[in-house]
Amino acid sequence: MSNIIQAIKLDEVPFERIRSIHGEKTITQSYPNYLIDESKTSGGKAELIFFPDNEQEVSTIVRKMREERVEITISAARTGIVGSAIPFGGAILVLERMNGIQGIGFDEEERRWFIRVQPAISLQEINDFIKSKKFILDDQNIPQTESAVQRFNAYIYHYPVDPTEMTASIGGTIGTNASGARTFKYGPTREWVKRIRVVLSTGEVLDIPRGQYYAKDGKFIVKTGKEEYLVKIPTYKMPNAKNAAGLYAKPDMDLIDLFIGSEGIFGVITEAELWIKEYEPHMSNIAFFDNEKDALDFVHKLRTADRCKPDFIEYFDNNALNLLRNVQKKDPKFVNMPPIREDIKTAISFDIFYTEETLDFYFETIGKMLKECNSSLEDSWSAYEERETDRFKHFRHAVPEIVNNIIAERKKQYPDIHKLGTDMSVEDQYLADMMKFYHSTLIEAGLEYVIWGHIGDNHVHVNILPRDLNDLELGTKLYKKFAKKAVEYGGSVSAEHGIGKIKHEYLVIMYGEDAIDQMRAVKNTLDPDNIFNEGNIFPEEKE
Amino acid sequence: MKLVVLVKQVPEADKVAVDPETGTLIREGVTAILNPYCEYALDQAAKLRTDNPNLDIEITAISMGPPQAKMALLRCLELGADKAYLLSDRKFAGSDVWATSSALKEGVSKLVPDFDLILTGKQAIDGDTAQVPAETAEQLGIPQITYGVDVKLNNKRVEVKREVETGYQVLSAKMPALVTMSKGSNIRRIPSMQAILDARKKPLESFTADDLGIDEEKVGLSASPTQVDKIFAPPSKTGGEIIYGSDPKEAAKKLFEYLKMNGFLRL
Amino acid sequence: MLKIDIDTCIGCKICERVCPFAAIVVDSDTKKARVLEGCTLCGTCVNACPVNALSIERKAISQEEIAKYKNIFIWGEWETKGNEIRIKSVVLELLAKGKELANKLGESLAVILPGKDVEHLVPKLFHYGADIVYLCQHELLEKYSTEGYTSVIASVIAAEKPSIVLYGATPNGRDLAPRIAARLALGLTADCTALNINSSRQLVQTRPAFGGNIMASILSPYTRPQMSTVRPGVFRKPKEDLTREGVVKNVEVTLKPVSIRTKIVEEILSEDEGINIEEAKILVSVGRGIGSKENLGIIREMANVINGTVSGSRALVDLGWLPHPQQVGQSGKTVAPTLYIALGISGAIQHLVGMSSSDTIVAINKDPEAGIFEIADFGIVGDIKKIVPEFIQLVKEEKKKQE
Repeated sequence: MSNIIQAIKLDEVPFERIRSIHGEKTITQSYPNYLIDESKTSGGKAELIFFPDNEQEVSTIVRKMREERVEITISAARTGIVGSAIPFGGAILVLERMNGIQGIGFDEEERRWFIRVQPAISLQEINDFIKSKKFILDDQNIPQTESAVQRFNAYIYHYPVDPTEMTASIGGTIGTNASGARTFKYGPTREWVKRIRVVLSTGEVLDIPRGQYYAKDGKFIVKTGKEEYLVKIPTYKMPNAKNAAGLYAKPDMDLIDLFIGSEGIFGVITEAELWIKEYEPHMSNIAFFDNEKDALDFVHKLRTADRCKPDFIEYFDNNALNLLRNVQKKDPKFVNMPPIREDIKTAISFDIFYTEETLDFYFETIGKMLKECNSSLEDSWSAYEERETDRFKHFRHAVPEIVNNIIAERKKQYPDIHKLGTDMSVEDQYLADMMKFYHSTLIEAGLEYVIWGHIGDNHVHVNILPRDLNDLELGTKLYKKFAKKAVEYGGSVSAEHGIGKIKHEYLVIMYGEDAIDQMRAVKNTLDPDNIFNEGNIFPEEKE
Repeated sequence: MKLVVLVKQVPEADKVAVDPETGTLIREGVTAILNPYCEYALDQAAKLRTDNPNLDIEITAISMGPPQAKMALLRCLELGADKAYLLSDRKFAGSDVWATSSALKEGVSKLVPDFDLILTGKQAIDGDTAQVPAETAEQLGIPQITYGVDVKLNNKRVEVKREVETGYQVLSAKMPALVTMSKGSNIRRIPSMQAILDARKKPLESFTADDLGIDEEKVGLSASPTQVDKIFAPPSKTGGEIIYGSDPKEAAKKLFEYLKMNGFLRL
Repeated sequence: MLKIDIDTCIGCKICERVCPFAAIVVDSDTKKARVLEGCTLCGTCVNACPVNALSIERKAISQEEIAKYKNIFIWGEWETKGNEIRIKSVVLELLAKGKELANKLGESLAVILPGKDVEHLVPKLFHYGADIVYLCQHELLEKYSTEGYTSVIASVIAAEKPSIVLYGATPNGRDLAPRIAARLALGLTADCTALNINSSRQLVQTRPAFGGNIMASILSPYTRPQMSTVRPGVFRKPKEDLTREGVVKNVEVTLKPVSIRTKIVEEILSEDEGINIEEAKILVSVGRGIGSKENLGIIREMANVINGTVSGSRALVDLGWLPHPQQVGQSGKTVAPTLYIALGISGAIQHLVGMSSSDTIVAINKDPEAGIFEIADFGIVGDIKKIVPEFIQLVKEEKKKQE
């Protein structure tokens, strides 16, 4: 265990042999999809696109671009919603050809299974592969014993981090420290990354297994072929809530955590090992309440329960339910669930571990909680068959989809309108206050809004639906108000989406300019020429 | 009043395929579900109970199948059945339509001899024959009404709105009778946590051929007048020309030309 | 063998009343039922007995017995269109196939025609290939009923011993055939897409299962007749020979109202020609890609200008945008028109099963990966809402030119 890491030099490959596209005009006309991500921020442009096949090519590209002082934007699936993969000049390093699976292995020490992958493979593909159990790849570089293979085949495994967008690349999710509903029980991406390889701006690679490099007195030493870099970990305190804003910083932290959630500003991830776990059958349930207070009480009881802690707890406010009700009237198949009664004001969706043996106990316990919250087991929906729980999953994703459709419609009239969604979290004890604050502020402002999300993590998405540009302006002001409040309540301004290029000001609200300077210092140490993902997390210069 | 719903557990049919090399069914990764049309029948039974509270309706679900068909019957209990019975025996294996309806006839006559109405789905999505209900009705000697989309009870008669090619008929019959359901709600019901909890307390029993005194000569493969000669993958039709990315005027023109050339536009 | 459970029999005489062959009586002295010589084991009395005192033990028949069953029979299903009664198209299609099978076996082809006032249908049946028509007319057969038609047809089958009986897999056909099969303990195969005779002179019945994902070939080796239902549009009609003649056999029908236990309370039928998509030569079929009910106007117009009929996928019928009789697919109708144009239809297997036998398939869909393109003879990746109006324009212009 040390705080000193040695970077490894890689062999160069002939630069001309690397697949590339040249020319800003060509790229804008024929490859516009590489200039935008799901944030739909416009203005992206680039002079070069590279499509490396492997780590050596990545290294060669980085070295060449550094020589020529050309900035690089790292790109894979471009499903991010904060503009992290959007280039504003320079070169795009597209990793889509590095989308393979290297193998599945069993770590004897940790007694856990893991999978070794390339950065551009999607979460869906990872899960499909593990499910298919095509265990022994001929060219797998992780040796396995017969008994290990048998053990693996006896169960179903999966990678439990489940953001809505399962086509996201694993590299992207590591860059963002992505989360999904199941983060409530299993933690964000960070908890599942076992090892990464990162190519730095010198073209050398850092191979970082978790548990090997720890900061000493808040410092790391990175040794490259030529120099020694002293990395000072920022001293701000991270919130005690779900967080994907800014750099991970703890005085005795693991080096790997510096890179996870760093939105690609330090280098290119070229390989990752992720823990996978046994798939546990689950039941999906939705409980209904005729007011918000009872629903929040239920959330509190459910998540502090001794023995039936759920996999996750999700929330839908009355406006969200109304959206669903309206769509159900016109196109019931889109929502594909029974009608939601008009008197229901709040819905809480939660998954629990399922076996026939524990079912009685869980339901009876939950039944007691619901009664105490003026609801009941009768006023609920429940399922355990896969095709039924799929309906619940689809239902949870229907609200954001409907919101997106509404925004798209309104954009036709007001092209400058865009989605205004929050991504903030608070500490447990402030949940009820924060919810009250959201509702009262928005009702007072007279804005159209919907709230849903991972209430188990005190992390809900407040979406303002601007009807015109005035709404948009007012909404943006309120967004800042919410950010300040969330920070006051010990939370984060970005619990899962990251900062990217569009949330700089919120990071300042959260940590203050001084903290940003400390982050900048780390960047200047590891990427002195500012090659990688300029504009992610913080602007190059103070704005 | 006693309602019987005859149900079947089936594989999710659209996922089943024939291995083109071996000519056998690939069943891996295909989950077993309650046949969708049987679910319609159960829904209709539950609706009849809600709509006729004074009739004191009791719903019994009965199925013939292997032991795992119990899960489909459990689902029936979750969706409103009061009791469920599984007819399960090696002797029933390989039954075709006739042998299956013989077993069901025996099961119904012995387990719910005083039934008033039998509801079934119009067909099972694996066999797709739509024959077992009618053959069971014939064997029980009761009238049948098929392709029902809505059922009402009227005194001692059952009234069924039935689909035909050009619209609908309403037929009625004196009970005991059998009705097959062709359609149900677009949005399948979801039971509450209470219903799921309660289902596990309701009676779900399994019976063998001996339990019911069923003569083994009447059931199973040897009693089946139809036999499968072979199964094979359907012929794959290869697609023809596809036009991509033209503007609508161009595309319309190409469509027009194709239809004209092939003699479809006799104007 | 007809078995009578003497202890259970209550002497109600229902069996005596319903028997088509006057082959069972209730003895005045014993007050119990007794079977006479003419019994054909048609099973009508078994079905009618209110106390289940009657049963027939049917054993598989020997090869010798099997050889005694000869000839191909077809149920002559008819329909009413306004005041007119006409034979259903599927019957003519079955006549073509029936002829082929009859020729292979060296046997005759007959049609069983139950009904009232249907004798005018007979000549057409001869023109399309029937050698014999069993005309079974009776007041109570004026409208189709399960038990009325089952009794009549089962008794003709029991008496005449055909080796094969075919039915159109229409709603009534699928209601009727299994009832007859159960009455006579026969093998029945549904929705056959192919019928052939093998080297042992057996009928090989081929049909889809698992929603069309697999095909199965079925035999009924030990029972006679072998019975199958066939969907309309699967076989082609034969050529009409107006000179052809045949033999009419008038069947004496014994039916009592007590035998028919279902009553027709109401009928809500559409007279609209466009509702009968099974007989259309050109179908303009629309799916979810149309977006809204209002947009259906352009589909109707397109059908109009090319003399086609509108049909649709299940999605639109579920939404209430099209009536159920226009639905194509596993839970709708099976069609086989000369031209099937699929607009905004993705091509789920349940839909394909209903139209894949169409002669020519044209598809337009926004999604290049849509399954429909795998079976389309000609496809366009594009937005139907934009392409269809342009197409209609072109056709209108062409029409003008021709005038």
